[in-house]
Amino acid sequence: MALDRYEWLGRLAGRIPDDALVMSTYIGAVSFEWAHHTEEHHRSAHLGQMGDVIGLALGLALALPHRKIVCLDGDGSVLMELGQLVAMGEQQPGNLVVFVVDNGVYESIGWSSQGRRPTATAGRVDLAAIAAGCGVPYTVDVTAEDELDAEMDLAFSRDVCSFINVRTQPGHSHVRPRRTDGIEDKYRFVRYVERLEGIWITGVPPQDIALMKGKQH
Amino acid sequence: MAMTAAALDAAHDGLRAAGIDFVSGLPDGWQRPLHERVELDPEIHYVPVCNEGVGFSICSGAWLGGKKPALIMENSGIRVASEYIARISLGTGVPVTLLCSYRGDVGETEHWGIPHGIVAEPLLQALRIKYLVVRHVEDLAKSIVRAKRIAEAQLHPAAVLVSGDCVWED
Repeated sequence: MALDRYEWLGRLAGRIPDDALVMSTYIGAVSFEWAHHTEEHHRSAHLGQMGDVIGLALGLALALPHRKIVCLDGDGSVLMELGQLVAMGEQQPGNLVVFVVDNGVYESIGWSSQGRRPTATAGRVDLAAIAAGCGVPYTVDVTAEDELDAEMDLAFSRDVCSFINVRTQPGHSHVRPRRTDGIEDKYRFVRYVERLEGIWITGVPPQDIALMKGKQH
Repeated sequence: MAMTAAALDAAHDGLRAAGIDFVSGLPDGWQRPLHERVELDPEIHYVPVCNEGVGFSICSGAWLGGKKPALIMENSGIRVASEYIARISLGTGVPVTLLCSYRGDVGETEHWGIPHGIVAEPLLQALRIKYLVVRHVEDLAKSIVRAKRIAEAQLHPAAVLVSGDCVWED
């Protein structure tokens, strides 16, 4: 029995470590509902799009190896760029946990009297098996609620590169779309990371500020 | 055929002078020695990939985590990466320095390189990526530094296309 997306994303939001960072999809039901559950917390980067969400999360995980990085992706997006799983399996960062909302359809494009357009996971494709074949150390295909709770607890209690595919019921977003674009999302995430990590990412470099102050004197 | 020993040193010097501390990429015949050099550099985190689009996504994520990334690839890789350059950088504004072999440039010996030379510059222009074509070794290091500098300033990729005396000793 597939899980209800809105409900399980809410449970994930309640379990995620306070100091974790999240790479999520940019638009669509997953992004909207995650933002709703987390009240648009700036630890979440809603920057991933079709085929690049895991790649972005992987780069973030490699840049900040001491920080738990949680990735939220969809089955259509993962299928678009399976090469991301190859890189994930090669690098195996222990701080990266990928959750895939696998509902077996292209949800965001809408539907007709013929129903929703299926993705390949509605047929014979098993994303967790592909991830395992790429060398990702821990992969699982989740179909039950109690199973998901155990997998979330496991993922957040240890440092093992993990790919958790969650079979989810189709269904449009329960909440309204987000208002921000990628530019605003980037800045608020980057500023959050700068404060969290005590690092400089973009803007006038600290040494230039010091130089300007020196010139004023 | 690979980049000359002098060009290899210049490219590596340029990456270090630019403050590049994270490199992803897919090796090609010309820049293979640079991948080998960078992989052994303790100051640079090197992430090999199986296609350049994934490399661009990884570089972008690394930038969000505070790294200064570069993507090293053949110019054919610009085509592969263009989907993610458009989605991530045109849509969000993320700087990644691109260091590309310029196959199909004047002097090319291989028929298969010609399409890469036809497409590369128009595609960079379509993606609003400023670039320098470097055909002299003495220009290579400073061009990498300048490309990284404008990438950071405009929060969008900038590219260096490597060709000419950097690869041919004719």
